[in-house]
Amino acid sequence: MAEVKLKNVKKQYENGFVAVHDFNLEIKDKEFIVLVGPSGCGKSTTLRMIAGLEDISGGEISIGENVVNDMEPKDRDIAMVFQNYALYPHMSVYENIAFGLRLRRLPNDEIHKKVCEAAEILGITELLGRKPKQLSGGQRQRVAIGRAIVRVPKVFLMDEPLSNLDAKLRNQMRAEIILLRKKIQTTFVYVTHDQTEAMTLGDRIVIMKDGFVMQVGTPQELFNHPANLFVAGFIGTPQMNFFDAKLTKEGNGYIAEVCGAKIEVPDYICEKLDARSSVPEKVILGARPENLLIRPKGSQNTIKARMKVTEMMGSEMHIHADYGGDKDVILRVQTADMDEEAQVELMARSEFEFGIRQRTINLFDPEDGRNLAVENAVAVPKKAENAPVAEDIGKKKKDKKTKK
Amino acid sequence: MSENKKFRSKSGKERFTRILIYIFLSVLCIIWLIPFIYLVFQAFRGESRSMVTYIIPKEWSFDNFIFLSTKTDFWHWYLNTLIIALFNAVLQSVIVLCVAYALSRMRFKGRKFLMNLMLVLGMFPGFLSMIATYFILKLFGLTSENSVPGLILIYAASSGMGYYIAKGFFDTIPKSLDEAARIDGASRARVFFRIIMPMAKPIIIYTIMMAFIAPWGDFMYASLITFGHEEAYNVAVGLYKWLDKEHISNYFTIFCAGGLLVSVPITALFMALQKYYVEGVTGGAVKG
Repeated sequence: MAEVKLKNVKKQYENGFVAVHDFNLEIKDKEFIVLVGPSGCGKSTTLRMIAGLEDISGGEISIGENVVNDMEPKDRDIAMVFQNYALYPHMSVYENIAFGLRLRRLPNDEIHKKVCEAAEILGITELLGRKPKQLSGGQRQRVAIGRAIVRVPKVFLMDEPLSNLDAKLRNQMRAEIILLRKKIQTTFVYVTHDQTEAMTLGDRIVIMKDGFVMQVGTPQELFNHPANLFVAGFIGTPQMNFFDAKLTKEGNGYIAEVCGAKIEVPDYICEKLDARSSVPEKVILGARPENLLIRPKGSQNTIKARMKVTEMMGSEMHIHADYGGDKDVILRVQTADMDEEAQVELMARSEFEFGIRQRTINLFDPEDGRNLAVENAVAVPKKAENAPVAEDIGKKKKDKKTKK
Repeated sequence: MSENKKFRSKSGKERFTRILIYIFLSVLCIIWLIPFIYLVFQAFRGESRSMVTYIIPKEWSFDNFIFLSTKTDFWHWYLNTLIIALFNAVLQSVIVLCVAYALSRMRFKGRKFLMNLMLVLGMFPGFLSMIATYFILKLFGLTSENSVPGLILIYAASSGMGYYIAKGFFDTIPKSLDEAARIDGASRARVFFRIIMPMAKPIIIYTIMMAFIAPWGDFMYASLITFGHEEAYNVAVGLYKWLDKEHISNYFTIFCAGGLLVSVPITALFMALQKYYVEGVTGGAVKG
């Protein structure tokens, strides 16, 4: 139970590669922080630096009152759960859980009590006599968690703990981690590349790319107001659609025009735009697939699209289409809003028109990818230039398809 | 039908190849076994002690062993070798396992250079440094009658270079186990002894076996360092003495009996631990 502070933390390897640049974060007591990002973004390195398994090249990490830069992992009062469980194969489940307590020279009866308590919380009491190789993946992960919680650490670190489990077990364990968190009330730092885990578990999420922090915020903030094009594209499936738009001032507000359709910019964005010294004329408009709405033929301010593929997911339908020539767009339609006939009719259509739910849009600067309405937004790192830039998106998807 | 025929012809061809392979292996086996069988037969030959041109003795007896035990220094040499082998088994195993673990787990400046250097140095035959080693040991008074500690020192000193197979084995043990233990509160040494060692049984046994066996067969260093001091000989030097011109006609069967006795502890150890030996070699080979 402690705060964790990372100030300008940097990790540079001997060959000059910088894995983490200038990482700043204050994790509150009992907060659940999730570090998320694609492979190689530096999230695990950051976690390992907090754990003391990696040296820090620059900056400062403190846990509670103590600066722990040069402290051994064992002295930091942390516990960690690894992706591959890292159970000691020659010890029984009981001994695995008791190992940390034995090293702290606790009396045997106290160790026994604590091990039994931890096993009880995780529902593994009947497994205590077994060896790790006799357990299933989910059971092993429970033992690994048991080994971590038994010491009641100040900070609980988890490095992709669910990645090795199958989809069903992963969902189950995710729910169990939420319950566990309620029971043991401590500070959690959780690393994952799975955005569902990040969104469901985290009080706050840190999104990383190429060693840079892209955005820190609650799941809602990240989903509704992504700080840049990378975050916008990373969070949410199917990913956000990006449109090239022309921004013009009209009266007190702004209008974004996409392929002839005029979309009124929400007031809160207008205020931010007004506060800027200059407002770009060309912007990228981001709208999530569920915020693109199919309109009747001939409606005003709609964009014409050609149907390519429809995917029936049961409760919703994903419509892949292209507009304005060769630019791809994905719509997500709730099937509960339509009767079966309407669904069949929609799937049979070759063309349709869609509008954009005005209040949900985000506007991004095409130069650096920053969200125009988010203060202190971080630009997408240069390496990521090939990531979501509106004009490229359609082309890239086509390239992939032709390669296949 | 045609498929059946095809299948049959294929299996016939395979069988033929197999038979050829087995014949070849059997011949090799016999060639390898002949010297050993010869040694055993000669050790039990009773009619004379000189070298003869036939293999199967005309008269079987234990005289050679009795002579060996009562009228020669053989058991003294045997004890010397056993002491050296036991010390070497302990010292070399500790050194090799520590070096291998450090090179497998720790990252420090010059690690790669050190590993390459040891690999290259290991390619030179040991006797290149024999004269220098002899003078160094002489300086410390560890030659001639004090050869036993001298030999222990020589074998143990160079043992770190044989880290390669053990390092390969340690590389296959996930690093996250070390990390988990360090977070649990273990020091590096405790991680090594409490977590890694129990998992490395095959490679420990392999290393101990290699370290124990090596001194039994060493002739060059032992003969140089013991130089003329019979009481300090090891079995290889002592037995070889009986093969020179003066002795061979009276000691050949004695030599064979001694050779047989030397092979007993090594063979017994090998047979008892061969399961681990194979695991050690193959385990080490995964990433070695």
